[in-house]
Amino acid sequence: MMPSPDPLLSLLLAAALVLMGLALFAPNHGLLSRWRRTRRYSERALLEDALKHLQHFESHGQSSGLHTLAGALEIPVNQSVSVVGRLQSHELVQMEGGEIRLTPVGREYALRVIRAHRLWEQYLAEETGFAEVEWHGQAEEYEHQLTPEKTAELARKLGQPLYDPHGDPIPDWKGEFKPHAGQALTAMPVDTPLRIVHIEDEPGVVYAQLAAEGLSPGMEIRLIESGPKRVRFWVVTGGYDGFEEHLLAPIVAANISVVPVEVQEISHRREQATGFPLSELKVSERGRVLSISPRLRGAERRRLLDLGILPGTAVEAALASPSGDLTAYRVRDALIALRREQTRLIQIEPISEEFA
Amino acid sequence: MTNRTHTATSCESCPAHNAANLMRLGVNMMDYDYVVALTGNPNTGKSTVFNALTGLRQHTGNWPGKTVGRAEGGFEFGGKKYKLVDLPGTYSLLATSLDEEIARDFILFGQPDVSLVVVDATRLERNLNLVLQMIEITDRVVVCLNLMDEARRHGLQVDERRLARDLGVPVVPAAARTRRGLDQLLQVVHAVATGEILPRPRRVRSEPPQVQDAVNLLAGQVGSLFPGLPNARWVALRLLDGDERIAEAVHSGELGDLTRGEGETSRMDLPLKLETAEMVEANRVNSDEVLKTARALRWEVAGDFHERVMVKLYAEAARIADRAASKPSEKPRFDLDQTIDRVVTSRRWGFGLMILLFALVFWITISGANVPSGWLSALLVGTIYPWLHALADLASLPWWLSGLLIDGVYLATAWVVSVMLPPMAIFFPLFTLLEDFGYLPRVAFNLDNIFKKAGAHGKQSLSMMMGFGCNAAGIVATRIIDSPLERLIAMLTNNFALCNGRWPTQILIATIFIGTLAPPYLAGLISALAVVGIAMLGVLLTFWVSWALSRTALKGEVSTFSLELPPYRPPRIFQTLYTSIIDRTIYVLWRAVVFAAPAGAAIWMVANVKIGGQNIAEYLIGFLNPLGVLIGLNGIILLAYVIAIPANEIVIPTILMLTVMVAGSHGAGAGTGVLFQVDQGSTLAVLQAGGWTLLTGVNLMLFSLIHNPCSTTLYTIYKESGSRKWTVVAALLPLGLGFAVTFFVAQVWRLVVGF
Repeated sequence: MMPSPDPLLSLLLAAALVLMGLALFAPNHGLLSRWRRTRRYSERALLEDALKHLQHFESHGQSSGLHTLAGALEIPVNQSVSVVGRLQSHELVQMEGGEIRLTPVGREYALRVIRAHRLWEQYLAEETGFAEVEWHGQAEEYEHQLTPEKTAELARKLGQPLYDPHGDPIPDWKGEFKPHAGQALTAMPVDTPLRIVHIEDEPGVVYAQLAAEGLSPGMEIRLIESGPKRVRFWVVTGGYDGFEEHLLAPIVAANISVVPVEVQEISHRREQATGFPLSELKVSERGRVLSISPRLRGAERRRLLDLGILPGTAVEAALASPSGDLTAYRVRDALIALRREQTRLIQIEPISEEFA
Repeated sequence: MTNRTHTATSCESCPAHNAANLMRLGVNMMDYDYVVALTGNPNTGKSTVFNALTGLRQHTGNWPGKTVGRAEGGFEFGGKKYKLVDLPGTYSLLATSLDEEIARDFILFGQPDVSLVVVDATRLERNLNLVLQMIEITDRVVVCLNLMDEARRHGLQVDERRLARDLGVPVVPAAARTRRGLDQLLQVVHAVATGEILPRPRRVRSEPPQVQDAVNLLAGQVGSLFPGLPNARWVALRLLDGDERIAEAVHSGELGDLTRGEGETSRMDLPLKLETAEMVEANRVNSDEVLKTARALRWEVAGDFHERVMVKLYAEAARIADRAASKPSEKPRFDLDQTIDRVVTSRRWGFGLMILLFALVFWITISGANVPSGWLSALLVGTIYPWLHALADLASLPWWLSGLLIDGVYLATAWVVSVMLPPMAIFFPLFTLLEDFGYLPRVAFNLDNIFKKAGAHGKQSLSMMMGFGCNAAGIVATRIIDSPLERLIAMLTNNFALCNGRWPTQILIATIFIGTLAPPYLAGLISALAVVGIAMLGVLLTFWVSWALSRTALKGEVSTFSLELPPYRPPRIFQTLYTSIIDRTIYVLWRAVVFAAPAGAAIWMVANVKIGGQNIAEYLIGFLNPLGVLIGLNGIILLAYVIAIPANEIVIPTILMLTVMVAGSHGAGAGTGVLFQVDQGSTLAVLQAGGWTLLTGVNLMLFSLIHNPCSTTLYTIYKESGSRKWTVVAALLPLGLGFAVTFFVAQVWRLVVGF
């Protein structure tokens, strides 16, 4: 048999190899991923981002010049000149005075990119397990890679969604869409019942804060206080752990768009303040589902619907798992175990005995 | 029960299945008169009904969602030949998942002569939701009210006449497990297929009130586009829900083809149906308009439209179920199911009972398998093997042919069969009995918290347990995990459950290397502890790797948790024995044999084919030896793991053969180039002559636990995951980990112990 190599030397060599591998392939800071990130921002991506920016400004009734473009794309002004030059040569934009204007073709192109972006966000929300804060960044990358065919296929698979998970309308393949009717939360009078219809995902820092608060479109809220220092509101349905209070700085709250809830829509619900999360239900107690938080989405939500857990369903807590966390509920004569992270997002009301 | 029957006199009601469409959906209609689609919620006994009607034996178990893919079978009744198509079990037909889409498309576009819905009588409400959706699509529905025996056991009374009247379709009570009610079911299916019974389903208006105007408008347009379409409102709803497949069918006019043979009542509303070329052209223009209207209306209806439809359907299902089923007026004083549940999931008894049960299963398996294993080995290796050699001599086969076939292919296969078959034939039926009874979901319930911390699903405890029998069977068992992320985790980590093929290796090495270190009276205990320690290390690795995978490579995969605890069902012992042996044991064994036979040939050739005076084996060992020594093993062991990849059972015999061959000691074994196994003392002597130390033994035990799965398992992973990428990961991840662990152990050992 051959002699074994020196153990200490082998260990050191192996450690060196592992470190080298990490330096090369580490997910975010590795050389490979850095190289891919710089390559990603290709010429095409730059032009498409410029079109998106112009469309965004146009839809808000603002005009865009070389400086705003450079600022939005985070490039030097002289580079933005060449970007506009390229766009002009493709007849996607035209200059009018110092103003950059989209041509009809350019607008259509921009909407196509926006469609791809929002569809991808919807895909990430519905069909994957990525966290909210990752959606936008990933979509920024994928919007440039989706071909029209792939976009159409994606839309088909998602059931032709109308809105992305932030509440932005997804233009259809003809570029038609209907913007959401929401107004900034800060502009609303205190004490009206409201529903969140849109949460702006840019800038990322503000969005991360809103996501961390657990807010998402579809939630019904009640504004309690709105001043220059702070905005205070309650989430009525769909938050974590029931009736929760949120305190936000006005600049953050302004990124939430809401619509007033019509009285007719909530009339079928009884006193909302009696609601509490399913996770609070003790074994052998009964309740009726009021609402399921919009935070339970995609496959997870569909599973609940399949099992017959939806507004109006009577549930009874039947068994608690000996190791905790898991509880089995009697739902429509079946025994279904759910985890706490799910049941705290389901609002119920107690069933009084005479109705039971 | 066929109260709303209607004996048709006209030719309109003749069977008119859509042969062309069915062909396109992959159903071969040669030699069949009628097609029956079988649908139902998961775990309603759909597979049992299928088996009872066709005589096929699909594996059935007390789990939601056993049927994967589509099965077909045939039967004859009343002189007609029927084809039964088993569609995926779904909770609804709103096409939000691939399964639902397959089932929906088949019923809508395939136009089966009869759509049979199997309904669980004990969960009427949830099941009726599907029935209500079915009758929105097609008239020809027959409801099989299954599990009536179970309902009766729970004191539940279901009035099937009432149900049939409320639904407007025939309802047949049955207990498919005991074949009760199936004759009547066949009669009704036959009557609907031949048109003797014409179901008149009562359709629910499932649209929420807020969108009624939109539905009315769109349904009107759809109705005028396809006169005679019986389900215009349903089509309108689907269009509003953004159902692209239906939009395509509207656009292409495919929906118009479906109007014949159904719903004459609505056809009578219209004076005449003229099908001229101009009409067709006019339709096309119209269809675009309809779709345009639908697109515009979609922006008007609320975003949670889909869910409101479900709420409405469920409310209706609850109403019908309430009228049809009557629960016992007062709760029985003693609810057996609940009592069992309280005990098996209690803090005090739950875990103890679980450990006891599984210890019992393992004990019966191990102690029960020794004897038949010995018999099989004596028969296959002791008797038949020399007999085959004698036969080969008689036929004067050339040495290489008899060597390749008998010493190679036959011997390796016989080895695998004799080691593998007996434990599996005991373990799997026992496990299946527990499964059939309904106990296993409770185990998953008890253990979920631990698995959750590793990012996995409680049901992984069961696929892991199955992996202790055979990893390939463990991979198949991951089917019960209905969440993509957790299922993948369970597949990729199943290999860390020490399988039946590796226990003998562990026991042998532990006995001769570790047991001998201890004083004789402790030897047995110490070596047993060493083996259990390795198995426990495997369990720890399962958790650790699951945890790491869920946070890195698998980040972003979808995860949906739900665990249904089905009611307890008295196990059917003979049925279980039969299906578990056919389904699991023979199936796994067959795959193992298919892989072991060529491996036997490869092992023989490597050891017996000489190039330039040296065996192929000797070249390969020389090549692998530096790596082997680096990780505390040697080239022989590595080569054995390479060529014995199909089955872990033949690793030790291969190592012995190669060691004897290389070391040249002919004291032990049948001869060079042939697999053999000898008693423990001689094995130790052979291995020590081959340069083995305690480190080699320990690292072999580690490597045997942590290396790539056998090729049978890998093939199963490929089949089950349908992904090449994950199959490669499943192979390389444990292999890399194994190299790392053995490397580290070897270096530290050499630093501390010095050799």
